[in-house]
Amino acid sequence: MSLSPDETILFILLGFPINATIFFTWVVIAVLTVASFLITRNLRADVPPNRWRTALEVIVQGIQAQIEEIAEGPSRHLLYFAGTLFLFVAVSNLLLVVPGFEPPTSSLSTTTALALSVLVAVPLFGISSRGLGGYLKTYVEPSFIMLPFNIISEFSRGVSLAIRLYGNIMSGAVIAAILLTVAPFFFPVVMDLLGLLTGMIQAYIFAILATVYISSATAPKHPSTTQEHSP
Amino acid sequence: MSIDWLTVAAQIVNFLVLVWLLKRFLYRPILDGIDAREAEIADRMQVAMRAKEEARVAEAEYRAQLSTLQSEQASATEAVRRQAEQDKDALLTEAHERVERERTAWQAHLDDERRNFTAKMQRAGGHALLELTRKALADLADETLEARMAAHLARQIGSFDSTLQHAAGHPDDAVVTSHAALPDPIQEDLTAELRHRFPDIEVHFDTDQSQPPGLILRIGGAQLAWTVDTYIDDLNDLIADQLVVGAEQRA
Repeated sequence: MSLSPDETILFILLGFPINATIFFTWVVIAVLTVASFLITRNLRADVPPNRWRTALEVIVQGIQAQIEEIAEGPSRHLLYFAGTLFLFVAVSNLLLVVPGFEPPTSSLSTTTALALSVLVAVPLFGISSRGLGGYLKTYVEPSFIMLPFNIISEFSRGVSLAIRLYGNIMSGAVIAAILLTVAPFFFPVVMDLLGLLTGMIQAYIFAILATVYISSATAPKHPSTTQEHSP
Repeated sequence: MSIDWLTVAAQIVNFLVLVWLLKRFLYRPILDGIDAREAEIADRMQVAMRAKEEARVAEAEYRAQLSTLQSEQASATEAVRRQAEQDKDALLTEAHERVERERTAWQAHLDDERRNFTAKMQRAGGHALLELTRKALADLADETLEARMAAHLARQIGSFDSTLQHAAGHPDDAVVTSHAALPDPIQEDLTAELRHRFPDIEVHFDTDQSQPPGLILRIGGAQLAWTVDTYIDDLNDLIADQLVVGAEQRA
């Protein structure tokens, strides 16, 4: 029994071994892209939306509302990033019910990749919002002594994100696999249902935490700080 | 538990591709569609508001026009009513005047008829009275009325002697007019009596059918009438009274 789908090599493509993590990630990407394309290909403002389009609008507007609550304002780029995080993790975890599907999020490589993406996105969003000087200045606030702690804090955020998501999803899958050997007709169903719930919760938590980190980097300066520099 | 860094790199690329794909096929179409729909809804709301405002203005205009029409209708109705009142008053006045004229004409005609009837009755009554008197005198006394009236006039001339002479002055002639021709003896008696009072006077006798029965003497500036006019007048009064009584009884 392998604990990570990284160890399962499915085929070789152009000399590169394609493991289950990458393959099922492509599956998730294909599902999301094809579904989005089919639903949004004939959008017209003067035509009432159908049920699928309405469902997508509810999902997108729900994500946007959550982001606006945290980020204190609309940001489409943040929506693209955090929304994709949520949808990818959520769909990956929902497809757990498909027989033979191994969620990419149960791979530490995937969660590390997502955590690294967040780790890189935070300074990028911060620089685009505050400028390079303004963003770097946040590492020495409130004093220069806090610089190493702030750096450690940034990295620990990424590590905690990666370990949290990996641990939850992987543990659910492993527990389901173990129980399958003990009681193959009852516990796996219960664990899969529980896995769906925890998967959705983990997707929500992952996206929300990423949004919080990015928002903290892009948040405007405190009004009192501005007043200190004003004549 | 291990990290395959090649898989990590591939997953980062996969994630970035997924971000681009979802941005291309999900977020942008959905958000643009929502924005377009919101814009269209806002446009439709504005159009609806404009239409509502136009409808409100049109309603106000129509209400004003309706009020004006009602006012004009009331004015026209009042004018027609007043004209009708005037026409009615004019027609009533005209009718009253016509009735009054017809009543006046009818009253005049009735008065004419009454006068004609009264005159006719007077003539008939007077004629009947005279005829009865003549017939009574002729049957009972073998006398004519004119002869007896002339004889009586001759006697009465004496009683008016001084008054008659004073009124007549110094006449050259006298005219005696009667309803019918007087017999010659009576003419001679009257001539003798007048010449006794007025010597050398010429006496002429004449007849006048329109004159009431009796004699009229014209001498100089004096005139002495000896007729049945008084009796005829009494008879007329009696007939008029009877006519009035008869009209009151019919009313």
